[in-house]
Amino acid sequence: MGYLWHELRSAFPLITSGNAYILSVTWVTIKVALVSTGVALVLGLPIGLTIGLGRFRGRRALHVLANVSLALPPVLVGVVVLIFLLPQGLFGGLRIEFTLRGVYVAQTILALPYIVALSAAAIQALPPGLLAQARVLGAGRRQLSLLALREAKIGVIAAVIAALGSALSEVGAVIIVGGNIENYDQTLASAVVAQVSNYADYPNAVAIGLVLLALILVLIGVLTVLQQRTGGIQLRFRTST
Amino acid sequence: MRLWWEELKVAVPLIFHGNPYLLSIIWFTVQVAVVATVVAAAIGLPIGLTIGLGRFRGRRVLQILANASLGLPPVLAGLFLFLLFVPQGPLGGYNLILSKKAVFIAQTLLALPYIVALTAAAVQGLPPGLLAQARALGAGRAQLYALAVREARIGVLAAVIAALGSALSEVGAIVIVGGNVYGFDQTLASAILFDANAARYAQAIAIGIVLIGLILILMGGLGVLQQRGGGIRLRFRSVT
Repeated sequence: MGYLWHELRSAFPLITSGNAYILSVTWVTIKVALVSTGVALVLGLPIGLTIGLGRFRGRRALHVLANVSLALPPVLVGVVVLIFLLPQGLFGGLRIEFTLRGVYVAQTILALPYIVALSAAAIQALPPGLLAQARVLGAGRRQLSLLALREAKIGVIAAVIAALGSALSEVGAVIIVGGNIENYDQTLASAVVAQVSNYADYPNAVAIGLVLLALILVLIGVLTVLQQRTGGIQLRFRTST
Repeated sequence: MRLWWEELKVAVPLIFHGNPYLLSIIWFTVQVAVVATVVAAAIGLPIGLTIGLGRFRGRRVLQILANASLGLPPVLAGLFLFLLFVPQGPLGGYNLILSKKAVFIAQTLLALPYIVALTAAAVQGLPPGLLAQARALGAGRAQLYALAVREARIGVLAAVIAALGSALSEVGAIVIVGGNVYGFDQTLASAILFDANAARYAQAIAIGIVLIGLILILMGGLGVLQQRGGGIRLRFRSVT
């Protein structure tokens, strides 16, 4: 155990000294996590709501599709996204292969199934009477959606937590699409891989790992508190008033 | 779309060619996924059941711990194991670093939280009357556990499916501890990473198609097992 302790002790000064490299990787990670989760939320919540609330044919098929895409290996998603982004590819004109924007795109695609599948599941689990009653009382689509979101708050926030967690931990897709370029589109998780495998710089790897752990604890912790405070924070949606 | 067509035209023959490299990583991937999941189930199921059914202090803390470890980045688990395995490390004497054994160990460690946390949750979701009745009728610990597993089998199999899925898709930890050595301790997922980084996209796509096939077969098989409520009887001898 002496060795582990030694590595930890050499890692701490790297964090506390405000190392420019670690700061930049941390900032990139926060941007990637927030952008991908945010965009996935904007795109995925309406889809999740439609699947969860809709009463149309093919609803179950869509839900199965969302669940299946949760099981897709991120490395494979990375390759597929990269081939679209390569200069000869369909979206090659955007020139975002091996850039931070490419990483945003890949991580958003990876975050999307979490939001869609888990929010749809949360909404479907609502007591059926609740939504039926709102419908009978004349709630429109919008009002119904807002009501469902408010009532399924715990499940929807769980979806956000899962998406954010995957964005923070992911390495496969980030490395493939972004190229794991130092000080540019490297995230904390992919930096750990680079520090161990490319540079054998273990104190740096441990320092980055500790920062990643702290970031996860803070972000997920805040969301969990938000999720569990049932009465405290009111998500003020104007519903059927 | 032209690029896609070009890549696929190269990729598909690679699969059917019976390429020995591809066959060897398929075999290694199946070994890793099955061994990791089975060992994790053997270790994790009793722990999950104890957390889910037990009535002792600290049970909730253990459950929270298990849930939290699900959220840990696999790269960190990989880094931790790596530092244990390096020659100077506490387990340095066993020569595990950059070996196949290290890959097995890493994936087992990563599969464990899925089994523990999801089994505990599934068992806790059982109607409380059921277990209370079994207890009142004199069921012992082993009988109680067997009954709980049988009744919560959908959730327990979901735990196994999740563990298997992570073992098949994961790259972060095994790249660190195994070194992603070409043709030696690569899994399909880490081979995709390797080939994509080497700009061999056709090969990466070919391996990806195989990986998807493997995931569909393994997880699909378990999914069918899970949903066939009455059909397949998991024959546990419980309260008879």
